[in-house]
Amino acid sequence: MSYAYLFKYIIIGDTGVGKSCLLLQFTDKRFQPVHDLTIGVEFGARMITIDNKLIKLQIWDTAGQEAFRSITRSYYRGAAGALLVYDITRRETFNHLTTWLEDARQHSNSNMVIMLIGNKSDLESRREVKKEEGDAFAREHGLIFMETSARTAANVEEAFINTAKEIYEKIQEGVFDINNEANGIKIGPQHSPSNASLPPGSQSSSPSSGCC
Amino acid sequence: MFQGVRVTASSSGHELFVLGDSDGYVHLVNRTFEIRSFSAYERGISLLHQSKDSPILVSIGEDEIGVNPVIKVWNLDKNDKHGDPVCLRITRATIPNKAVIASCLAVSDNLSLMAVGFVDGSIIIYRGDISRERSSKQKHLKDDLPSITGLAFQTSGKVIMLYVATVSSVEVYDVTHKDKEKKIHLDGKGCALRCSILAESLPNNDFMVARRDAVYCYTNFVLGPCYAISGEKIQLEWFRSYLVIVAKDMEPAPRISTRVNFFSDLNRDSHIITILDIQNKFIVFTALVKDVSAVLIEWGAIYVLSTDNSLCLIAKSQQYDAQGLMEIFRQFGDHLYIKGDHKGAMEQYIKTIGSLEPSYVIRKYKDSQQVENLTTYLQALHKDGVATGDHTTLLINCYTKLNKPELLKEFVMTKDREVDFNVEVAIEVCRHVSAEDALLLAEKHCLHSWYLTIQIEDQKKYNAALDYIGKLDFEQAEFMIKKYGITLLENVPEETTSFLKKLCTDYEPNNKNSDGSSYSGQQKANPEDFIHYFLNNSERLVEFLEHLIQISSKWSPHIYTTLLEHYIHVWGKQTDHHARLQYEQKIMRLLESPDASYDKLQALILCKAANFKSGILHLYEQNKMYQAILKYHVAQQDYSSLLVCCRRFGHQEPGLWVQALWAVAPQQNLPHDLLDEILSVIEKEKLLSPLSVVDALSYSPNVKVGNVKNYLNKIFQTELKLTEQQKALIEKYTQQTKKSRNTIEGIRNKCSACNKQLELPSVNLFCQHSYHQHCFQTFSENECPMCLPNNKQILDAIQSQEQSKDLHEVFHSQLDRADDAFSLVTAYLGRRVFTELTDYSKVAMGKFFLIVIMDSS
Ligand SMILES: Nc1nc2c(ncn2[C@@H]2O[C@H](COP(=O)(O)OP(=O)(O)OP(=O)(O)O)[C@@H](O)[C@H]2O)c(=O)[nH]1
Ligand SMILES: [Mg+2]
Ligand SMILES: [Zn+2]
Ligand SMILES: [Zn+2]
Repeated sequence: MSYAYLFKYIIIGDTGVGKSCLLLQFTDKRFQPVHDLTIGVEFGARMITIDNKLIKLQIWDTAGQEAFRSITRSYYRGAAGALLVYDITRRETFNHLTTWLEDARQHSNSNMVIMLIGNKSDLESRREVKKEEGDAFAREHGLIFMETSARTAANVEEAFINTAKEIYEKIQEGVFDINNEANGIKIGPQHSPSNASLPPGSQSSSPSSGCC
Repeated sequence: MFQGVRVTASSSGHELFVLGDSDGYVHLVNRTFEIRSFSAYERGISLLHQSKDSPILVSIGEDEIGVNPVIKVWNLDKNDKHGDPVCLRITRATIPNKAVIASCLAVSDNLSLMAVGFVDGSIIIYRGDISRERSSKQKHLKDDLPSITGLAFQTSGKVIMLYVATVSSVEVYDVTHKDKEKKIHLDGKGCALRCSILAESLPNNDFMVARRDAVYCYTNFVLGPCYAISGEKIQLEWFRSYLVIVAKDMEPAPRISTRVNFFSDLNRDSHIITILDIQNKFIVFTALVKDVSAVLIEWGAIYVLSTDNSLCLIAKSQQYDAQGLMEIFRQFGDHLYIKGDHKGAMEQYIKTIGSLEPSYVIRKYKDSQQVENLTTYLQALHKDGVATGDHTTLLINCYTKLNKPELLKEFVMTKDREVDFNVEVAIEVCRHVSAEDALLLAEKHCLHSWYLTIQIEDQKKYNAALDYIGKLDFEQAEFMIKKYGITLLENVPEETTSFLKKLCTDYEPNNKNSDGSSYSGQQKANPEDFIHYFLNNSERLVEFLEHLIQISSKWSPHIYTTLLEHYIHVWGKQTDHHARLQYEQKIMRLLESPDASYDKLQALILCKAANFKSGILHLYEQNKMYQAILKYHVAQQDYSSLLVCCRRFGHQEPGLWVQALWAVAPQQNLPHDLLDEILSVIEKEKLLSPLSVVDALSYSPNVKVGNVKNYLNKIFQTELKLTEQQKALIEKYTQQTKKSRNTIEGIRNKCSACNKQLELPSVNLFCQHSYHQHCFQTFSENECPMCLPNNKQILDAIQSQEQSKDLHEVFHSQLDRADDAFSLVTAYLGRRVFTELTDYSKVAMGKFFLIVIMDSS
């Protein structure tokens, strides 16, 4: 199935806030209770529809650990949307938001849509960051805000889809230059003027491949 | 391996390791580790590329100092006159006006493209068959790139891309068309020499670039995922779907799962080799190795060449034995499981079936309620034929938990596969979770008992059970009905009864298509076996037995007796007069039926117990127990019946009348004519002496002489007559006696011999001849002389008969041997042996004599 647009997202935030879980929940509808540290940058994709248009979301899940910060920076470029995640049960992850935001703004294109996410909303009893605080931070920095739970899947779909809607609107408004791939937006194969951007090797692969 | 040699370049392919040394020698190592060396350059060799599938080797080295490097192409399968591989081509790798060092070399798989990168950032592309000097066209790409560190051709369809890694960037050229090379800038960061590789078997043929912080992938000409494996990288290699990373052991790599020390004397130059499973993002191997000079991949294995030229195998895919592989699957499964990828883990665990104890896996998934995955595993166990009954049980429970009846059905019905589970276990489990399936299963496997137990005990679907039994062959149907008949009869009496009827008369399985092939040698069950089923249901039993009797008359007495018993039972319970009468008729019909071979004695007991009058009487009559009938009537004070009885049977058993007399005598209120009739018969038939009659009557409380006057009168009259008759007779006999006496006197007085007066001693014979003793002795010794001639004849006859016993045998044996049989017979006939024997014997028997000598005293 070919898509009308491809949006590139990046998920950032401190380690353990649930970035990978959010992605997994969104792409596989599954929750992983064990913290499996992301080492490097991983990748997930899913199709959604907005305004009756198929949109492919290509999502880069980054490692939150301080040591991997430099690796993450290589991935801001060419992202149309970012999910900035903190953990509502750990205040320090909320406190680090400013640093993340600085990093993001510095390395990404200025039109990038940033969605602020307070994750683990299912752990109400252990909440350390009030919802209002998240709201306030978002308003202050011009972000969209949502609380989610990767465990119960609450708001997970919405987080990803609302971001896409925002990007889509910006495209409609002409804010994004959709012909510049560095903006993290690609027009789908049947919509683009030429097929030059078809990934080579997507159909036939070299004879040496596929042996195991 | 090669003492004193400094390896400066290496490559592998075409079943060979190819090493180049600082002295310009190429060493070829084959699978059996035989080494063949030849001199390729005057000075050192810097780069080697061995084609994977063909014997073509490309080398770059120096023949003179300070001169541009020389590319040589060799055919390793062809030898020149010195026995060394033939050099097909020699080309100078020349950058115009410069003498620069070639840093890397790439050859496309089809050997039609070759690229050489230089330290100054130049790249030269050679197009055309690389083994032929003439055809080759070279193109110098001048894009002011930093020093080139890696080159790789990626061919997909007609498109050929050349990935280029430099010390500080990653680029890709579209080199599909000659002179139309297009460059795409991928990244502003590069990598060191030998630290980039094309991952050939990945779907997108990622170009992998190892930097200090991580290994980055470039996919579809953009930056893709990355693997944060830190450390200063030395070399990247690609093996199947594994990335082999050689790094300096500065800091421990993160997430080390297994660390093997190959050498104990670790020094600073230790290298760490990490093998990363790219598809599963899993480090499968980490080891410290001293001084890696090259990693070589060939023969399905990964080898490490150290700077001291020792070759060391670090991983070989085929080398894992089954057990080892299983262990790897298990470990990987565990890893995925911990990560929460239970599904992925299950894929691994399934590969361990046959080696790993299933309970290990089952426990994991059971505890975490991973029913779906557990189901997958259990299915696999069954498929591999290693499932136990417990597994079957669990699997069925899983299906139930998943609420997937269709899966359960599919499993148990084993449509397209062998039955891979213990059917009875499956039924037992299904029985509790999905009776429907249990039934199907039982039916399919012809486990009739199971089917019926479920249908009857659990489902209480008695009719269905009965239908099922009706489809079975006779033996099975009989067996099953014996097992469940009582329950069925309790619950569906009507249907069960009619089934039993069929079973005992003309059973035929229901499902047998009526294709005309009528069941020959029809079997019938013995109805006696089922009688006790009807313990509490006389009516059904009656129905059952009546049916039997209707169909045939050849039943055992038990059947009839039972029917009778239950008739009587039902009869006894009836209160409605009409119904009672009806049953009475039934009973009588049965009793009177000539076919009904009921046990008479038992029938009688039954009738008596129920006081079923007509039955009792009938049976008495049948058994000729007339006295009993009589007694019965007396007891019932039914005197008219008593009379009827006496009249009917009196002539057969005359004592009956006497009995009647004795029986009625003590009774009160006897009808008049009763005694009269009895007495008159007794009198007429002279059944009892008058004295006895009187005696009998004397017991009667109310019989007066008047009542028996008639009788007595008659008796007296007869008696008188008799007396007179007898008197006359006496007279007659007295006279006769007298006469006879005189005659005897006369006979006895004369001797038959001398005809004189007899005197004692005398001999008196039965023949009525008497003799004087002396006369007798004169004529004979002990026979009557008068009768002697006659007796002589008889004695002869007897004698000859005794002889004839032997005569017969003699005659026959003679006859057998005789030449002239006729004359022999004639001779015998002449001796009269055959004819008169019988006559004489008669005579002899009848008239044999006896002699009595009467003593004179
Ligand atoms: N209760 C609850 N736990 C969550 C939720 N999301 C994630 N977790 C848990 O938080 C831990 C970390 O989740 P990850 O998604 O691996 O964290 P991450 O942000 O990817 O961490 P890094 O990869 O190190 O950057 C795991 O143990 C998850 O099970 C949530 O919504 N609710
Ligand atoms: Mg993560
Ligand atoms: Zn005489
Ligand atoms: Zn005589």
